[in-house]
Amino acid sequence: MHRGFASLLLSLSLLVLAACGGRAPKTSGAEPGARLLTEPQYRSIIADVFGSQITIGGTFDPLVRTNGLLTVGASLARVTPAGFEQFDRMARSIAAQVTDPAHRDYLIGCAPQDVARPDDRCAEQFLGRVGRFLFRRPLEREELATRVAEARRAAVELGGFYDGLAASLGGMLVSPSFLFVIDVVEPDPDARGSMRLDAYSKASRLSFFLWGTAPDEELLRAAAQGELHDRRGLERQAERLLAAPRMEAGLRAFFDDMMAFEDIARIEKDSIIYPAFSAAVASDAREQTLRTIMRVVLEENGDYRDIFTTRKTYVSGALGRIYHVPVDRPDGGWTPYEFPEHDPRAGIVTHVSFTALHSHAGRSSPTLRGRALRELLLCQKVPDPPGNVDFSKFNDPHSPARTARERLSVHALQPACAGCHKITDPVGLGMEHIDGAGQLRTAESGVAIDARGSLDGIEFADVGGIGPAMHDNPAAPACLVDRMYAYATARPTQRNERKYVKYLEREFARDDYRVPALLHKIAISDALYAVRPPVEPSPAFARNTP
Amino acid sequence: MRGAFCWAILLPCATVATAAPRTLGFVITTWNIAAYETRFADECPLGLNPGYDELWWRGLSKPDRAKFTDNGLKSRLERYFVAIRRGPNGEDVCMNPTSVKDPPLMLVEGEKSYGMDLDGKDGVATGKSCPHQEFTGLDGTPGVDNQLYRLLGCVYGFRSYGQFEANENENRKSNGKGMTLIEVTGVDDVRNDPDVRVTIYRAVDQYTLDGSGRFLPYGSYRIDVADGKPRYSSTLRGKIVDGVLTTEPGDVNLPFYGNYTYMNRFLRDLRFRIKLADDAASAEGMAAGYLGVDQLMFYVGGLGPIQSSAPANCPSIHVAAYEIADGHPDPKTGRCTTLSSAYNFKAVAAFIVHGESQRYADGWFDRVRRFISDLRASN
Amino acid sequence: MTFLIPKAVSRRSVLRGAIGGTTVGVALPFLDAFLNDNGTALAATGAPLPLRFGTWYWGLGHTPGHAITPKTRTSAGIDFLEECKALKPHEQYLNYFGGFNMPLDGRSNYTHFSGWVASRTGSAPSSNSEIPAPTLDLLVADQIAKNTRFQTLDVTAAGIARENYSARSTNSRAAAEASPEKLYQRIFGFEFADPNKADFKPDTRMVVRKSVLSGIGEERRTLFRKLGSSDRARLDEYFTSIRQLENQLDVQLQKPAPNQACAIPVSPRRDGPEQNMPQGLEVDTVIANHRMMAQMVAMAVACNQTKVFNVVFSDNFSHMRRPGQTYTHHLLTHEETQDKELGYQPVAFWFNCRTMEGLATFIDAFKNIREGSGTLLDNMLVFAATETNYARVHSLDGVPVFTIGRAGGRIKTGLHVVGNGDPITRVGLTAMQVMGVPIDSWGTQSLRTSKTITEILA
Repeated sequence: MHRGFASLLLSLSLLVLAACGGRAPKTSGAEPGARLLTEPQYRSIIADVFGSQITIGGTFDPLVRTNGLLTVGASLARVTPAGFEQFDRMARSIAAQVTDPAHRDYLIGCAPQDVARPDDRCAEQFLGRVGRFLFRRPLEREELATRVAEARRAAVELGGFYDGLAASLGGMLVSPSFLFVIDVVEPDPDARGSMRLDAYSKASRLSFFLWGTAPDEELLRAAAQGELHDRRGLERQAERLLAAPRMEAGLRAFFDDMMAFEDIARIEKDSIIYPAFSAAVASDAREQTLRTIMRVVLEENGDYRDIFTTRKTYVSGALGRIYHVPVDRPDGGWTPYEFPEHDPRAGIVTHVSFTALHSHAGRSSPTLRGRALRELLLCQKVPDPPGNVDFSKFNDPHSPARTARERLSVHALQPACAGCHKITDPVGLGMEHIDGAGQLRTAESGVAIDARGSLDGIEFADVGGIGPAMHDNPAAPACLVDRMYAYATARPTQRNERKYVKYLEREFARDDYRVPALLHKIAISDALYAVRPPVEPSPAFARNTP
Repeated sequence: MRGAFCWAILLPCATVATAAPRTLGFVITTWNIAAYETRFADECPLGLNPGYDELWWRGLSKPDRAKFTDNGLKSRLERYFVAIRRGPNGEDVCMNPTSVKDPPLMLVEGEKSYGMDLDGKDGVATGKSCPHQEFTGLDGTPGVDNQLYRLLGCVYGFRSYGQFEANENENRKSNGKGMTLIEVTGVDDVRNDPDVRVTIYRAVDQYTLDGSGRFLPYGSYRIDVADGKPRYSSTLRGKIVDGVLTTEPGDVNLPFYGNYTYMNRFLRDLRFRIKLADDAASAEGMAAGYLGVDQLMFYVGGLGPIQSSAPANCPSIHVAAYEIADGHPDPKTGRCTTLSSAYNFKAVAAFIVHGESQRYADGWFDRVRRFISDLRASN
Repeated sequence: MTFLIPKAVSRRSVLRGAIGGTTVGVALPFLDAFLNDNGTALAATGAPLPLRFGTWYWGLGHTPGHAITPKTRTSAGIDFLEECKALKPHEQYLNYFGGFNMPLDGRSNYTHFSGWVASRTGSAPSSNSEIPAPTLDLLVADQIAKNTRFQTLDVTAAGIARENYSARSTNSRAAAEASPEKLYQRIFGFEFADPNKADFKPDTRMVVRKSVLSGIGEERRTLFRKLGSSDRARLDEYFTSIRQLENQLDVQLQKPAPNQACAIPVSPRRDGPEQNMPQGLEVDTVIANHRMMAQMVAMAVACNQTKVFNVVFSDNFSHMRRPGQTYTHHLLTHEETQDKELGYQPVAFWFNCRTMEGLATFIDAFKNIREGSGTLLDNMLVFAATETNYARVHSLDGVPVFTIGRAGGRIKTGLHVVGNGDPITRVGLTAMQVMGVPIDSWGTQSLRTSKTITEILA
């Protein structure tokens, strides 16, 4: 009798589980970390707190792309002396602008009794308010007192309230509490012996993920009230962020990173070979692709994979001269444009932001394009070229190769080369109808281009076939999920999270590859906020465990 | 395979069965009077014409010469403002060409010229034309009518090294005024088509140049529209034979800007012969027709100080222009009022934008509103 | 790497001996008798030891057989061939090191990467982005550049700021300055204290800045309580960088000693509408920017703004190109056909020649500044290297290295040193020892060495 009941219970619960489609696998996350702000995040925060008129000039130390993202690289980044010098320069410049006569009245919010002397009341009000946004948490009493004292000292030394305030503000802008996003952990009251991120750390994680910037007033308030530790409270905030117009900026920041657009503005093309390519083309190219992606995944809440096949895009005057399409407003602005049926250019892989970015200054590069497609869009690693490569056997001095296909054919012949080049070249060669500047062509050096290619078993006759091949390649949506999760956690994905990521990939498919659903899932997940206790327990942890 | 690479010729294409005629667009990049010149000016056996400055100089006494030119130290440009006002009452002789009687203009006496046979006759008087000498084309074609060349060919300023025309082209290139668009519609076959339409528009968007200052093809240009109607839209019928587009003659309004003169040129019985590049990315050709003498003199009269760098003399040109005019006689006086002429031009492919520019007039007000709100925001 | 008592090394302090016929050098501490009380000046003259160190980087190696005639034994006299003939007039300041190898112990040769990482850090990288140890210039800077305005000055004429061949670790790599104007502003802008100006007033703003920065330093303890061990190391580096800036301010708050050699150069800003120098990879742009930057760096050194610098002429993938040509320098090395008569790739060779001319320009920039009884070159040492020998095949054997400068008389010059297959780290080790870094061995696995190249020691 018992056994029958037990098995009935068992099968019932199995049924229930099956109906729910499975629960999310548990993760234990990673140790709490401290990651450096990336350049776009730094700029966003300054614009949010002080307005977009404040100019930021300076060089950020380069980050190492890790797990395909600079945002993850930031979790490992260190600040060099030259890098700190730049941060200091930027900080002082920002502080000087904030306190200058043009801005002080509306940015500082209070005025000193005497402009030539310190004013602790006003300094405290300003630094406390601004500090809460910059540090993403309220300043502790001692902290604030120190900063106010600094403003006072500096005001006396320099002979003016605003100079003193600028000095203190400049100091805040190079403080580790500003430059580094630091995970603060506390004991988890709902799970004895475990740790959890504190409310402000959760707020930061959510905000940087969805909006690419520091938490806003409402999110900080929710953190202060403890609402982020509550499932409903967290969902409310996540949904608020997802529904806001700011969401577009946040999602753009993600795709900017995933597509490796950080260097696109500095693409250099030979002006004799590609006279139509200019700096305007390079920066417009990025905007074109981001707009196209935003329309598909955000505005239309459509299938992510459609970004590879959509004919609809946007062109500017500069791009019109590269794509050879008409533009309604040649002097500025964007014209929606749909490539006609028979035009092979459809999808972001045919955009200038891909084809020209992954080419040389004076010609195309099937290998660079193939590699970029694999690494950026399919998350597949292409091994590095071997050191001891010798072309001498294959260089025929009497007939120099005229097309890329001819030049690269040696790769296929030599076994040392073929192993890797067959991963990149067949798809890259399929794009040869698009030259190094993103322009359509039919011949190279007078020879008609043979643009047959293939991608993981799907063959195509020219670049028009790459979009559908990408659309149907399961690695493409899986790659998006991997990147999205790594971006959200802003650190390398841990082994204990792999099952969870696979679960996300399955869910993404079940949700018809809709990105907002994926964002939502991650934003309210346990996984996003999971922390492992630090290997070396900090004294704070030891002190607080009962 | 999509349409067997028909996209490859960069044309929107379809199969022959469902032929949809396409449109070609060009923006004219350089425009010059088609003037044949030899290295040693053999076509001007009496030499090139004296300019206003020399004629002024000739009329001065020696002491006056020293006085007005600082003993010869004043540059021609500096003394232009005095020299041009040699009318008996201080008139600017360019704007008042009949105020003085100057030596007759030396005309071109060579036999060869660019151009086309406009009157279909041998230069004798007809109801529609006045007697004049005709030229032989460079390819041997007889009966070429080009009185504009005859008139200006021995005027230094209008020769290739004389600067007037180089300046015009440079002006247009840098400020985008007087830009002409050529739209060819109803094209079924870029190489051969018996029936197409050629329409002339004025562009309101400036040229795009590459880093070295060359014209870039495939830019988009909005047309000039007022009250919902294009300001320029003369249309001619034409045909394409072996990649060369020729049109029937017709009256055409052409935008014009050059040397600070902005005008609407009205060319009568104008016809085009345009060689299209194989990929239709560029074109070059000739337009020939009749230019009103008054229009020409309006331009010449407004040349201004640029004449100081390349001699020309308005009064002489004025008299000669009316004398050798060969077209469109005035019904009352019988005197011809237009000069046969020919122009060489080059063009690059362009997208001619109609729709948006319908709103261009309104767009202006949007821009003004935006400007004012920006101004307020920054204060 | 073991550390001895930190003192500089000179020839007198190196015991020479012969073991099995090969010369062996063992570093000994610099004898106290030669130094003043705090070891920073020669007792006899009281003059400080103004030694400087730099690195110069060029991409894509040499054309074998047309650069420098190989030798079988180390001896005086460098035979400059066609590609390197621009260096001939500077032979008296150069040493050339040929025949040194880079064993990778089974790790991949990450093309255009392993070569420079191994020779500058002493270890072969395990991935195409790993920098396993600090580059030698930073080890030298840690030793000699404690109180200079800039710990190092990193510049690049190749227009790519991230290609800086100086790094402390994979994730600690500063951006090199790629713009001549920005470089000028950074060194000679309003924060520059002209040593030859009669009046000097410590700028109160710098006092305030120092105070602010030291306040941040105090956040360290509270912060570290919250962090795990790996993050502490990263944040430690951040706090060290703050201290470096504090040092900078300290230096600027003191009146600089008058310095005859120091003259503020003219700003590179051109007059007219195009204010900004083009940056980019057209070879003429690279050559022009390099000349300007070399001169500025030389003057920065002369004005004691820095003691350590890193100059990049062309990046490791040398994207240099000529207008209207589809090939870059790098692509040429792989795809250009070898001319049957000449025996090399003509256009790639052309780029290599321009590169060596660049090196000559660099040397000139320092040679043109008098210091003491000689020039700057007499008091500095530059490690000039590339990442490959024959770029076409990415070979790592016999990667050429030059040293430039006399290091204050501590080294001989004009020598062609033959490596006989020894690890290339011997060159870096020797350079560091000459500069006073207290190490007696350097590198890991097969790149590990403790054999100083005694032949160049004076």
